[in-house]
Amino acid sequence: MGQEPYVEEYAIQAGDFSAIGEASTKFKATLKMLGIASDLVRRASVIAYESEMNALIHGGGGMLRMTVHDDHLVIEASDSGPGIPDVQLAMQEGYSTATDEIRELGFGAGMGLPNIQRNADAMEIDTEVGRGTRLRATVAFKQG
Amino acid sequence: MKIGEAVRVTGASVLVEGDMDRELGGAISGDLLSFIMAEAREGWLWITIQTHVNAAAVAVLKEVPFILAASGRMPDRTLVDRCSVEGITLATTPMSAFDAAGALREAGFPISS
Ligand SMILES: Nc1ncnc2c1ncn2[C@@H]1O[C@H](COP(=O)(O)OP(=O)(O)O)[C@@H](O)[C@H]1O
Ligand SMILES: [Mg+2]
Repeated sequence: MGQEPYVEEYAIQAGDFSAIGEASTKFKATLKMLGIASDLVRRASVIAYESEMNALIHGGGGMLRMTVHDDHLVIEASDSGPGIPDVQLAMQEGYSTATDEIRELGFGAGMGLPNIQRNADAMEIDTEVGRGTRLRATVAFKQG
Repeated sequence: MKIGEAVRVTGASVLVEGDMDRELGGAISGDLLSFIMAEAREGWLWITIQTHVNAAAVAVLKEVPFILAASGRMPDRTLVDRCSVEGITLATTPMSAFDAAGALREAGFPISS
């Protein structure tokens, strides 16, 4: 039913910390242009930003993709990094393996995955140690 | 309180002038980007000692119209440039984040939440 989903995708380059948020900012502009309600845009922005940050900082770069359907949107981040050995632990607020150098820049608060979960209607993490991580988060357009 | 008044009250030097008549709906202070992503609201002032370009993306995504660098921190050139492209007011105050918040409250800045 409905229209073809709208897909937008960006490569997240390894090492380029100053670029964190660029892809998310483009997603945000697209969602505004598509006329998506502003509270949904804000939630999607938080999800995209935290996913982008993780793919770059922890995953060593990868891809960030947004798919906009009629009644929901999906944000996916994938990388071929080290993977997450214990997802439950990683989900805990404040847990972070970020280095001091990264923390000084304001990243690595251990709040990324909890922020994503709080703003998503559904969230899945597919990860394998030594192979990489794929995160998929959905925001539904219908409220209540 | 308008952005222009917040600048005056904190004795800040403006590096990028956005809409100085914009009314601030609240304020938040913090240096952890994920914390600001979680807690900042549209139209708020953000007081921070972060001065690198990444602060701009957070402000854009959260629709924060004014970043105030505290403790005399001088924003990176790249942050200045990004803020001017995005129309975000950027200023630096010699006051600490604590003192800047105190000065704003004393001048009548309302409680945010
Ligand atoms: N894409 C990823 N690849 C490998 N590890 C990850 C990835 N995303 C998250 N992690 C792990 O989960 C932890 C918690 O992530 P998060 O809640 O975003 O906090 P932070 O990024 O501030 O450390 C990270 O410190 C890291 O150990
Ligand atoms: Mg993170």
